[in-house]
Amino acid sequence: MRPDLALTAGTPDSIADRSRRFFTGTTGRILARIVILAALFGAWQTLPGPGMRFWASDPVSIVAALAGWIIDGTLWRQLLATLTVMSTSYVLGCAIGVGLGLAFGLLPRLDKILSPFIFAAYALPKIALAPLLIILFGIGIASKIVLVTVVVFFLVFSSTIDGVHDTDPDLVRSLRLMGATRSELIRKVLIPSALPWIFTSMRIAVRYAFTNTLLAELIASNSGIGYLIAYHSGIYDAAGTYAAVLILVILSVALTEVLTRVEKAMSRWRA
Amino acid sequence: MPPDKIQLIGASRDFEARGRRVQALQPIDLSIQPAEFVALVGPSGCGKSTILNMVAGLLGPTSGTVAYDGLPVTGLNQRVGYMTQKDTLLPWRDVEANIRIALELQCRPTSRADAAAKVREMIELVGLKGFEHHYPGELSGGMRKRAALARTLIYEPETLLMDEPFAALDAQLRLVMLDQLQFLTRSRQMTVLFVTHDLGEAITLADRVVVMSARPGRIRAIRKVPIERPLDVFTARFSSVFAKLHEELWDELKDEVTKGTDL
Repeated sequence: MRPDLALTAGTPDSIADRSRRFFTGTTGRILARIVILAALFGAWQTLPGPGMRFWASDPVSIVAALAGWIIDGTLWRQLLATLTVMSTSYVLGCAIGVGLGLAFGLLPRLDKILSPFIFAAYALPKIALAPLLIILFGIGIASKIVLVTVVVFFLVFSSTIDGVHDTDPDLVRSLRLMGATRSELIRKVLIPSALPWIFTSMRIAVRYAFTNTLLAELIASNSGIGYLIAYHSGIYDAAGTYAAVLILVILSVALTEVLTRVEKAMSRWRA
Repeated sequence: MPPDKIQLIGASRDFEARGRRVQALQPIDLSIQPAEFVALVGPSGCGKSTILNMVAGLLGPTSGTVAYDGLPVTGLNQRVGYMTQKDTLLPWRDVEANIRIALELQCRPTSRADAAAKVREMIELVGLKGFEHHYPGELSGGMRKRAALARTLIYEPETLLMDEPFAALDAQLRLVMLDQLQFLTRSRQMTVLFVTHDLGEAITLADRVVVMSARPGRIRAIRKVPIERPLDVFTARFSSVFAKLHEELWDELKDEVTKGTDL
């Protein structure tokens, strides 16, 4: 008898076995998670005393705060503000980043002259510009769009340059031997070769756009989910603060999910 | 007598490595006629690939001249098709698109339909049918070599430079590929400079076999292959002429191979 058969054969289906199988199966796993969450929320709802409650809030008040925002439209308004800043900046930053990145990557002379400036600007934590941008553009969404665009831009820009530079010189040489012109080399080798770098940076940039939008809203603003958090914590409204954070959790999970799917669909040749 | 297609006149090449100058190739003289098939054999590091790189114009000679069609090679030599040791397939293109690429260039205007037909023909020829839509990363080493071969042959360059194109193939497949290569290069009157480790491969394909010495490389012997073409690649190696030449060339090569391993 083969050893792997010996391990499984002949053992009766004990209750322990069956329960183990249940908790490793999908239904069992989901059930276990619900139980853990219920226990956590139950404890949160019942354990804190009245003094503690002021700071810790409780699940029922949080859900109530959230429901209030859904009914009076606050949720959609603030969500829209955050998403507008994020997506506008993301699209702008990516477009300018890829465009200038390709220009710098393909024109080494330009790159050589300007790279010290670029490097200095790249090294600076962009969030430090927030106060300056608020002076320049006010606390509305304009200052946030500028800030987040700059963040996304540098990320995508520097990756695009790296991607072009990373092109395997042997591929370039073999195409040149076949008689490819410079523009054919760019279209058929340099850009496709840089694409994985560009996509990777664009993927990472989504997170950066998200985080920096929130940071900007937390620092000073009059709209957005970050503003909701800052405002409600400012007036010591624990339930409101938690509710806003909860919105954030849902938003970032949704974002990650969408990203994973888009990536899976796009990256077959790299498998 | 026709003018030489490829001519090396006292061509040598040095390399600089960590501040030390190493001579990879001593000054050598070699002439190759149009439509001639010449095989270069020799130990590792004897400068075989350097010769190909110089003919392709990827490297200039340190001294001497490399001429093509009677003119010194200065820039990249776009008259040659070069199949390097490392296959340079584009990883983001599938097999079909990789093989097609030379026909997409402005210098070779080809209609879509013509290109597609030629690609199909080449895929069939190198035995990659069924793998048209696989990416290089999804292929075995041997399959990648075959795709690279198809990509080079499809645009019928007048001269073919090949650097151990079949090293990664198993013995049976190698024979099939040798047969196809022989047929293609002879029927299209291509000039071929072929680098290999395998003496049998060299004798099977070449009109002349050049044996090179260990580094710094120089030509140790040149032998004409006195076998009538086309030959049957599957049985040729059992003929007495073949065996005799193999022995002769091996005599030249074996000291060099043992010398080469000290390096």
